[in-house]
Amino acid sequence: MIFAYLDPGSGSLILQAVLGGVAGVGVAAKAMRNRWKARKSSVTEEEAETPDPAPVETQES
Amino acid sequence: MDRADPGSFRDPASRVVLGDASVTRLLDERGLEGWRALAASRLLEAAVADGRLIASTEVDPPGGAAGALEHPRIPVVTYPFEWTFSMLRDAALLQLDLLEAALGEGLVLKDATPYNIQFVGGRPMFIDVGSFEKYRTGDPWVGYRQFCRQFLYPLMLRAWVGVPFQPWLRGEPEGPTADQMRRLLPARRRLVPAALLHVELQARAERRMQGAAVRSSLADAGFSSDLIVANVRKLRSLVEALEWDGAVGSWAEYGQCQHVGRDRSAKAAFLDAAVKAAAPSVVLDLGANDGHFSRVAADNGAVAVAVDGDEEVLDRLYRSLSAGTTIVPLLADLANPSPAQGWAGVERPALVTRANPDLVVAYGLIHHLIYTSSIPPDHVIGWLAGFGVPVVVEFVAPEDPMVARLTANKRPEELHPDRDRGGFERMAAVHFDTIADQDLEGGTRRLYHLTPC
Repeated sequence: MIFAYLDPGSGSLILQAVLGGVAGVGVAAKAMRNRWKARKSSVTEEEAETPDPAPVETQES
Repeated sequence: MDRADPGSFRDPASRVVLGDASVTRLLDERGLEGWRALAASRLLEAAVADGRLIASTEVDPPGGAAGALEHPRIPVVTYPFEWTFSMLRDAALLQLDLLEAALGEGLVLKDATPYNIQFVGGRPMFIDVGSFEKYRTGDPWVGYRQFCRQFLYPLMLRAWVGVPFQPWLRGEPEGPTADQMRRLLPARRRLVPAALLHVELQARAERRMQGAAVRSSLADAGFSSDLIVANVRKLRSLVEALEWDGAVGSWAEYGQCQHVGRDRSAKAAFLDAAVKAAAPSVVLDLGANDGHFSRVAADNGAVAVAVDGDEEVLDRLYRSLSAGTTIVPLLADLANPSPAQGWAGVERPALVTRANPDLVVAYGLIHHLIYTSSIPPDHVIGWLAGFGVPVVVEFVAPEDPMVARLTANKRPEELHPDRDRGGFERMAAVHFDTIADQDLEGGTRRLYHLTPC
């Protein structure tokens, strides 16, 4: 576990990869992509666990 | 008697206990691991030898602590809001240099606050050995945001906005946020690459990613200490390039005033005799201006705290100090000195309780408190007596040309009574015995060496 007694700020942490130069921009982009993928998969898993809502019956007039 | 430092509690790995002549740092297991890693590196010996890092001796820990270090006690602790521009800039450079050196040894600094730095012998010294810990591969620099808020933005505030940073840091010790800073920057500065990256982009990133867990994502993406080093080197160039062109302060030309040149050697000789008699460890030079009389104290082996409210003259004094000179410049308005503040109102003690002088010098001061700040004369004398130590003070009579200037737009009834020499001596006798006194050449100023009765 990584421990910090001060709040480093999430945005500032990502930013400093960019500030590290060209190589860092790639690292920041990859980190963001990994985060996005992780979030997407967790959302998909949640959706898979949630039963489909009952079909709404419509009445044609 | 030892007592816990009320300002040392934020890092659970390391806390400080104050003794009379030394300081003990108590470490938990994690703190001890960090210390051992620092002690095994080449950095410790080199940085202590050149005065950039406080000396440490490992001692037997008391019960409840995994380790303990003993440090020499800093004679007078000062805070960033009492520093001049060049002092904060030098402190920022020290912070960056130590971080880069630490990374080269597989270590990192876990925070980046100027409260970890003190001025000793005219130079900044890093005093929080507990800030060093082993660098973990893939970890970003946790202190980057803190560095921006407490070092970079305050320096930008002075250099780019033309506003002194000290009132901000006194009111908000964490410093301005990136979002506040972007609002403060003038339009022509906002497009400077450094402002775009460290201010604008950081403000946006902070806003968008508030609370997001990103450290493991960065590690997985291949973040390395090389990226921190690259950032630190660019920050160093940026900080070095920040200049304060210094609007001419009202006291910058003080040395050219007629009475200053005329009385200077007599005042220095009078003070020299008082310092030799008292053999003080710490001299508090109130209204120090260019530090001429602080040098008299320092030449006699004392640490002189040169207090003045004019940043330009004090900054000039700081820049003139050669390494090892025992003068500590301290920026303060004596009519409104630094109060006790921080957690529970005791984390950062007030200036008057921090200074602990053995001798107080008040040359060219009390008439400004009486006539400019409208402090009653008996209050001023009572305040000097409150230090409980001998005082060397310059009395300036109402007939003095400087007093005439200070009161040019005041009616006599708007001034406090007892401003004449008889009033001064009568009030001083309530608190002090006179050891020596001497008239100065112009006939309107008189020096007193007083000791508490």
